[in-house]
Amino acid sequence: MRLPPVAPIVRAKLGSAPANGHTTFLPQIRKLVVEYCDRWPSSDNTRTFLLNHIEDVARQNPHVEVVVRQRSHKEPIIRGFYVNQRDKVVPLNGLEVTQIQKKIELLLDSSGAKIKPLKKTVESTTEAARGIWSGLHAERPTL
Amino acid sequence: MGHVHQRLASTTARLASSLSTAHLSKFPPKDLLFVKGREIPTATIDPDTWASLQPPPPTALSAFAHRIGLSSVLTSTEVIQQVCTHPSFLQLFKQHTPHERDPATNGQLAAIGNSLMGLFATEYVRATYPYLPTRVMKAAVTAHVGPLPCANVAQEMGATPLIRWQRSRGTLLKSGVLHSDALASIPRALTALVYQQRSLPSARQFVHSYFLSREVDLRGMIKFLDPKKALLEMVKKFQRELPKSRLLKETGRYSNSPVFVVGIFSGEDQLGEGFGSSLKMAEYRAAEDALLRVYLTRIPPHLVQLPSQTFPVGVGDVYKKAQEGDYKPPDLVESEIMYASSGNSFTHST
Repeated sequence: MRLPPVAPIVRAKLGSAPANGHTTFLPQIRKLVVEYCDRWPSSDNTRTFLLNHIEDVARQNPHVEVVVRQRSHKEPIIRGFYVNQRDKVVPLNGLEVTQIQKKIELLLDSSGAKIKPLKKTVESTTEAARGIWSGLHAERPTL
Repeated sequence: MGHVHQRLASTTARLASSLSTAHLSKFPPKDLLFVKGREIPTATIDPDTWASLQPPPPTALSAFAHRIGLSSVLTSTEVIQQVCTHPSFLQLFKQHTPHERDPATNGQLAAIGNSLMGLFATEYVRATYPYLPTRVMKAAVTAHVGPLPCANVAQEMGATPLIRWQRSRGTLLKSGVLHSDALASIPRALTALVYQQRSLPSARQFVHSYFLSREVDLRGMIKFLDPKKALLEMVKKFQRELPKSRLLKETGRYSNSPVFVVGIFSGEDQLGEGFGSSLKMAEYRAAEDALLRVYLTRIPPHLVQLPSQTFPVGVGDVYKKAQEGDYKPPDLVESEIMYASSGNSFTHST
């Protein structure tokens, strides 16, 4: 009797899937760069934020490398660099200091993954917990 | 440009992180600038090579230590620098800066850490799945702490811009160094550091939280050549009645989509159940199911007894004399069946 062929296990492909948060959590953001201009008025609020609040942000988030950079004659921005080697850039012109703080929080909480619209209601690595219904295993209907 | 060159160029561009120059004492270096008095500007060093020689900023290293939760173990930037420097970097460093002191590399630490990780993974897999065949247990250990998961964990920790290494081709005597090899050395070095600065139980905690909590598909690693024959051997080992397959349910026998549900029984006890579009297929799956129910028997986490828990808790190495931890050895189970257990990865026997 011919049995189905068996594919060999290749050692180089033996790996595991990540489960961030099951035991320990690795924050996904690694660097935050705030870029401002010294002269232009669009950077006024950003400069106020940098003078008053950026140190607190850096102290409360020791896992993030906080960098302040000059970006002359341009609008102020923040860049967040993530562990998946992607970055997010958020412009800060027209924002108040509290709104800038919100944008900082947005970048700190983000995972850096591309924002894709979710098509399915549930996305999971495992099958349904209660099992898939089978007509052959269900109870026969009784009158 | 051929596709091989294109891929190499794109890989190099991806790996070459943008160099941050704020922490460097001399930038731009005089070597790379145009030298007055010469007709053709010559640089003694290629800019990409110069960039790969520069150390990562100390702020990045400190942030890395905090991100992985080891800020109390990795106290100084030099230690973190050592962890992120692969031994292949030494040759590049000596070639371009022969008069400076050699940087500390993570070769020895990675070797110690690799042994420790193998120990923790093996005892965990053995204690959690006592009936797993030896070859599957070895594959499971590789899947948990092998080179691929080590490289993946290093990337997830954010060590890609911090690693200092050099790519090398494999020769007859020496194996080559790829990016994943260099990255894989970082978690191993971290494990060894945790052991050296704290203790073996702390190193075990580190490996359990970063590696042994990841999802590994054991079912996919268990392959069968002839499950009915293997089940027959197993049933004889457990001294039960010989397996007999019985048709439990069927539908659509002569249609284009029949479904048969077959159960394999040892006397009155059902060992396994399988479905299929033919009787043979269903019987094959039933035998597979019966074997998997034995192999994948799992001890619940709160009942798992690890041999290394006898090492005393508290700062110190394995030679420290202190009160040993409690360990209740599990009962010995039936040994694995010999059919198709050569220990090699599966090849068809001719």
